[in-house]
Amino acid sequence: MMAHTVDFRIPAELLTEMRGWRTKALGIGVIGALLSAIGFFVAGPNQFYRSYLWSYIFIVAISLGPLAWLMLQYVTGGAWGLVIRRACEAAARTLPLTLLMFLPIVIGINNLYPWPHAEIVNADPLLKHKAPYLNVPFFLARAGIYFAGWLFLSWWFNKWSAKEDAEGHDAVHSKMSRMAGPGILFWGFSVTFMAIDWVLSVDPKWFSTMFGLLFIASQGLTAMAFLITLMVLLSKYRPMSEVLTHRHLHDLGKFMLALVMVWAYFSFSQFLIIWAGNLPDEIPWYLTRLNGGWQFVALLLVLGHFVLPFALLLSRDLKRNFKLLASIAVFILVMRFVDLYWLITPSFLKQSFGLSWMDFTVPIGLVGLWLAYFLTQLEKRPLMPVNAPHLEEVLEHGRD
Amino acid sequence: MADEPQVIDQPASKEIIAPGYTFGTVTDQIAAVVLTKKTPPLFWLGSFAVGFGLLLLFLLAVAILMVKGLGIWGLRSPAMWAWDITNFVWWVGIGHAGTLISAILLLLNQQWRNSINRFAEAMTLFAVACAGMFPVLHLGRPWLMYWLFPYPNTMAIEPNFRSPLVWDVFAVSTYATVSLLFWYVGLMPDLATLRDRTTDRFAKFFYGILSMGWRGSAKHWAVYETASLLLAGLATPLVLSVHTVVSFDFTIGIVPGWHSTFFPPYFVAGAIYSGFAMVLALAIPLRSAYNLKGLITDKHLDNAAKVMMATGLIVGYSYILEAFTGWYSGNVYEEAAIWNRMTGMYKYHYWTLVACNVIAPNALWFKKIRSSPVILFIWSIIVLIGMWLERFVIIVASLSQDNLPSSWGRFESTRWDWATYLGTIGLFLFLFFLFIRLLPMISIFEVRTLLPQAKVKEEQPR
Repeated sequence: MMAHTVDFRIPAELLTEMRGWRTKALGIGVIGALLSAIGFFVAGPNQFYRSYLWSYIFIVAISLGPLAWLMLQYVTGGAWGLVIRRACEAAARTLPLTLLMFLPIVIGINNLYPWPHAEIVNADPLLKHKAPYLNVPFFLARAGIYFAGWLFLSWWFNKWSAKEDAEGHDAVHSKMSRMAGPGILFWGFSVTFMAIDWVLSVDPKWFSTMFGLLFIASQGLTAMAFLITLMVLLSKYRPMSEVLTHRHLHDLGKFMLALVMVWAYFSFSQFLIIWAGNLPDEIPWYLTRLNGGWQFVALLLVLGHFVLPFALLLSRDLKRNFKLLASIAVFILVMRFVDLYWLITPSFLKQSFGLSWMDFTVPIGLVGLWLAYFLTQLEKRPLMPVNAPHLEEVLEHGRD
Repeated sequence: MADEPQVIDQPASKEIIAPGYTFGTVTDQIAAVVLTKKTPPLFWLGSFAVGFGLLLLFLLAVAILMVKGLGIWGLRSPAMWAWDITNFVWWVGIGHAGTLISAILLLLNQQWRNSINRFAEAMTLFAVACAGMFPVLHLGRPWLMYWLFPYPNTMAIEPNFRSPLVWDVFAVSTYATVSLLFWYVGLMPDLATLRDRTTDRFAKFFYGILSMGWRGSAKHWAVYETASLLLAGLATPLVLSVHTVVSFDFTIGIVPGWHSTFFPPYFVAGAIYSGFAMVLALAIPLRSAYNLKGLITDKHLDNAAKVMMATGLIVGYSYILEAFTGWYSGNVYEEAAIWNRMTGMYKYHYWTLVACNVIAPNALWFKKIRSSPVILFIWSIIVLIGMWLERFVIIVASLSQDNLPSSWGRFESTRWDWATYLGTIGLFLFLFFLFIRLLPMISIFEVRTLLPQAKVKEEQPR
């Protein structure tokens, strides 16, 4: 076993800080959740579920996306993977909470989707055609399969990683690497069909083969932006202040830039192809989203989700600047909310742009509760894998 | 030299270069292939002869095409382009691996690229040259191909910028230009090495001109490093953009089976997939014939096979999503297009390509298969066939059975389709083996940076 000079356990000072953050997150989360619960009765269940759906898709991205990064770093190796590993594992351990948060969607399935309603389906041959796929039992069964797979992967990687900490990497590292490939494959397929089930089927007449890929890219981006924010926050305290350097941050920043570009590439390709084709069963989806005020949201996405972060992230100095990179990451996270809102809400409000006060309380509530649970998980283990292979190289890599 | 740093016995990474090499032996071994006065090995002679023979066939096929017209190919309504566009997409796709290796892996600091980038980039150039043949020949009057460019003219002819085929002209010509520049800039230090080593006066003159006065001064290297990073930055978007635009050739049209929103990334993944298959198909025989197993190691083959498998899985994902969305769309034409592919006139092509592209790559999960060069070679050929069939099925199956059953018709290839296609394989082999004989197929100076001796020097304070 290689000797390392840094103690990775969370020192008391940081622990107090993290508990403080957790209390704040929990407080904000509870207030958001209470206000949303009041909204359920005041503004009506429809508005509650609509605000809930897109906020929940964000929670899925922020808890499941890190699992994908966790598996990817086992496949590729690299210093960047080691520094974010513990955060990814902690995020993956929040998946039981994500499953719990899925319940309102199950309960509100009739409020959210047109296809559970027999009278709507019977009146429409297209929905009748899709009924073998879009029906409540199969929808729930598929969700069960996704969650079973995700929870299994989260359990597996956390279990073996704990073993690595205790016994050294020779015994277990290759085991994790071998599981990571099939795990990524499952993640790709499950996210694709999750996107079709939970998001695309809100507007069951529309379809696009790009849709799943768009969610794969945006989960990766959401997760990376969150991880960068967290890393920068932790870098102010021991032990990460002694581990994390601008070189690690540069690598993570490159991934964020790449995913900003991939997101734009997927979104633009989908738009160009549908716009140029101008076919009656495809174009209405975009017509809704480019009229009645939604076009300004779309423009905001073009500028805020692509042009601005892209132009800024090109700079090497910026990717090595902790504060600036974290601000861009937070900005991207905000843009992720806007993107999800633009993708989902126009299907409910066909005519024109609208925003409910619940579109603020629900995401704040969910994110607050999730963050509190995430921080509970994060403090359970040292902030760096103790016995990982190449650990010394990773520390060295950071030192220039 | 007295101040040369101490040689460490074990190289930094055992896997990407065999132990025991020094700066001198690396240079000797790679330069010897080019500078030898002996007759090249039988492998070279045989491959060159095959390439040259097929090139003659190509010239014959093109001559007949010029005399008789496009009708000698199997093009009949409704399939007014078939093998020509299939071959174009196939060849352009193959080129992508070279750019990925040379540009993206350079930006990602992947050192294993250093010993395969040179011939992979050459492969890119020759593949793009072969690809370019088809759209130009398909014009019918290829001598008027300059009309594709928006140049000021008295005929008031402007290309239609709404057509993705015009975008293709720009995408592919930009790609060819940047690839050529990148390749040539990377060659310069090695050309200077050859200039300094050769004893032949003619070769000295030839390499001397091409190396543009490279003397290896620190200033040269500084400029070189900047230039190659900038070119890598320029080439990176091209890896995505070229096949994206190629996919627009189909998706922008509204033919069922073509108009699918995920074609751009799906085509790019397929391109890299077939490109890495070609890299393996070239590297495996080359390293045996020229005894280069110390420089192109099993680790290289393993890595290339992994990239091939990853992109192959993305291609497999695309087939599954394509079939699912065909049904899910509820659009009668989309559904019929997918159904026709699976059960229609081209069902054997379809199921063969599924076997080649969806089932076969899964064998690469196993390290045993990835570590056997013979099996990898066979697998790469399977992938190349599969990817050709994929493009053929997408293009021809959709054209043969479109929205109007009365205009359906089966495309039948002719011997001139075969002759032209095999002819470009000949052109490719001919150019590639000329390159092997005349230029260093592995980057000498970049491989030298992999040696432990170079590593020590790099870490000394500047």
